[in-house]
Amino acid sequence: MKLIYRVISRISVALLILMAVWATAFYFIIIDEINDETDDTLEDYSEHIITRALAGEELPSVDNGTNNTYYICEVNREHAIEHEGVRYSEDMIYIESKGETEPARILKTIFRDSLNRYYELTVAIPTIEKEDLQETILSWIVTLYLILLFVIIGLNAWILYRSFKPMYSLLRWLDRFSVGKQLEPLNNDAKITEFRKLNDAVLRSARRNVEVYEQQKVFIGHASHEMQTPLAICQNRLELLVNNADVTESQLEEIIKIKHTLDHIIKLNKTLLLLTKIENDQFPDQKEIVVNDLLKKLIDDYSEVYTYQNISVSFIENAVVKVRMNDVLASVLFGNLLKNAFAHNHKDGRVEVLITSNGVEFSNTAELGELDSSQIFTRFYQGAKKEGFTGLGLTLAASICKLYGIGIRYNYKEKEHHFNLTVPKI
Amino acid sequence: MKILIIEDEHSLREVIQRFLEKERYVVEVAATSQEGLRKIAMYSYECILLDIMLPDGNGLALLQQLKNMHKQENVIVISAKDSIDDKVEGLELGADDYLAKPFHLAELNARIKSLIRRNQQQGESSIVQGNVKLFPDKYEVYIENSLLDLNRKEYDILLYFMTRPNHLIDKAILAEAVWGDHIDQVDNYDFIYAQIKNLRKKLKKAEASIEIKAIYGFGYKMTTEDK
Repeated sequence: MKLIYRVISRISVALLILMAVWATAFYFIIIDEINDETDDTLEDYSEHIITRALAGEELPSVDNGTNNTYYICEVNREHAIEHEGVRYSEDMIYIESKGETEPARILKTIFRDSLNRYYELTVAIPTIEKEDLQETILSWIVTLYLILLFVIIGLNAWILYRSFKPMYSLLRWLDRFSVGKQLEPLNNDAKITEFRKLNDAVLRSARRNVEVYEQQKVFIGHASHEMQTPLAICQNRLELLVNNADVTESQLEEIIKIKHTLDHIIKLNKTLLLLTKIENDQFPDQKEIVVNDLLKKLIDDYSEVYTYQNISVSFIENAVVKVRMNDVLASVLFGNLLKNAFAHNHKDGRVEVLITSNGVEFSNTAELGELDSSQIFTRFYQGAKKEGFTGLGLTLAASICKLYGIGIRYNYKEKEHHFNLTVPKI
Repeated sequence: MKILIIEDEHSLREVIQRFLEKERYVVEVAATSQEGLRKIAMYSYECILLDIMLPDGNGLALLQQLKNMHKQENVIVISAKDSIDDKVEGLELGADDYLAKPFHLAELNARIKSLIRRNQQQGESSIVQGNVKLFPDKYEVYIENSLLDLNRKEYDILLYFMTRPNHLIDKAILAEAVWGDHIDQVDNYDFIYAQIKNLRKKLKKAEASIEIKAIYGFGYKMTTEDK
């Protein structure tokens, strides 16, 4: 969720609650004020009528031009004592002058004349219609809410955009940043102290990352290089020994075993060096490679090598796929995937290589079950240990794919491994 | 045949020296670039094995000096850096070949021989073992002047053995050399056996005086019968 949406949604909710509380309070205060004023008028009016009634003067006519109405009726003493004082109430009353029923504020009071007779005076003044008032307040509150919301959103967006400019430019820089690539200069003038500090911190950490990564890379490269000479010495001494006529057959057998192990170490070291070189992008030469031709040759070779397994091979070319890459790496990539298809297969198994306009798919019957697709491209992952395999083949393939923007995917269905390469069009 | 080894690693220098002496070369050694340069200035060699990484300077610089001295020696650059840049630069500076560590001694021997052959026989070059004569430029093999018909793989295998006579050849190395780098880590080498069986049959039928022997569990060795 973007910061701005977050801020806006929070403000909207807060504003909604605030406005609701405020509207309710506003309504009650207004009603209270209106009642107060009406009550004062009622009191004055009732006093006027009582004074006149007691003085025996003529009472105001009912049809007096105002909508005020009043009744006087005689009541007995018990009722008078029980309802002593002034009572206010609200009710619908019929207004004769208008000929309709309207909400009104009603005052009831008791008075006694000189003959000790009790009268009850009821005075009513039509008041505002509360439902109307509620509706009006609600509609205006909603209007105010919406206007405020739009204004606040606009202001926020503007302020955030202006103030967070350095932040967004830092984020864009971070998006482009990746270890192993040249560190771009961070041109981010920030006048705000926090952002300036953030810039510094991010830049420092990025530099440190790049440095550590470079050191690590150089270290692996050097370590592998340094091993080459001792490995050469071991290999060459064994070679001398093998060619020595004095060596007995049983000794030769042991030497050969040592030699095979040494060959494995050499292979491992070479592959690590190759990986380092791919990751350092040290294969500048590129040319257009027709994948169909390359695969045809590789399939011929591997079919010959794996004749003893009696594997049936189908090579389906639905399109001609070309790719621009280093030819050594192309052989490594396609060779590795093809070899895996043959090597991790069972006797009388099946290998299928399908070329479509999108890329290449290698499928083969699986010797063992499904591989862990989250792990297969990591170094030294092997589904099941297999003698002579370094566990780096798929890592190499993935590195090469990454270098040339080729997509690589693994899935397993119907007891077959499928490796899918999506080759970018050239 | 005189060869100079310029290599700082004592043990590697010694093992190469011992091997080449067994191959009946006269071998001189130098541990540093200075020492190497001194020897080159005083004597002349058929072939120089030059390690690129030397304690007192880059071997490529030495190669440059050699060029400036107008020396005609064949130079094989040896490097632990299996890097294409080094290889290209080395070859541009006049090195004749490039070997990445770790290498096989038999391979080194084949490279030296090929260089010397290239130098000695201007024009038509051939490799001869017993009564078998192989012309690498024309991909042709003759046994006592009659052409031997071989398929591509058989020819490649024969060439490999002809340039490494009397050496035990690991079948894994042979597979890589003939079929390509991608043929490694296979757990069955029957496919080599099938090709070698055919090659042997053809050689025997043509009465060749060379023989490819199987060394159980390891590989093969080509020997020449004395007739």
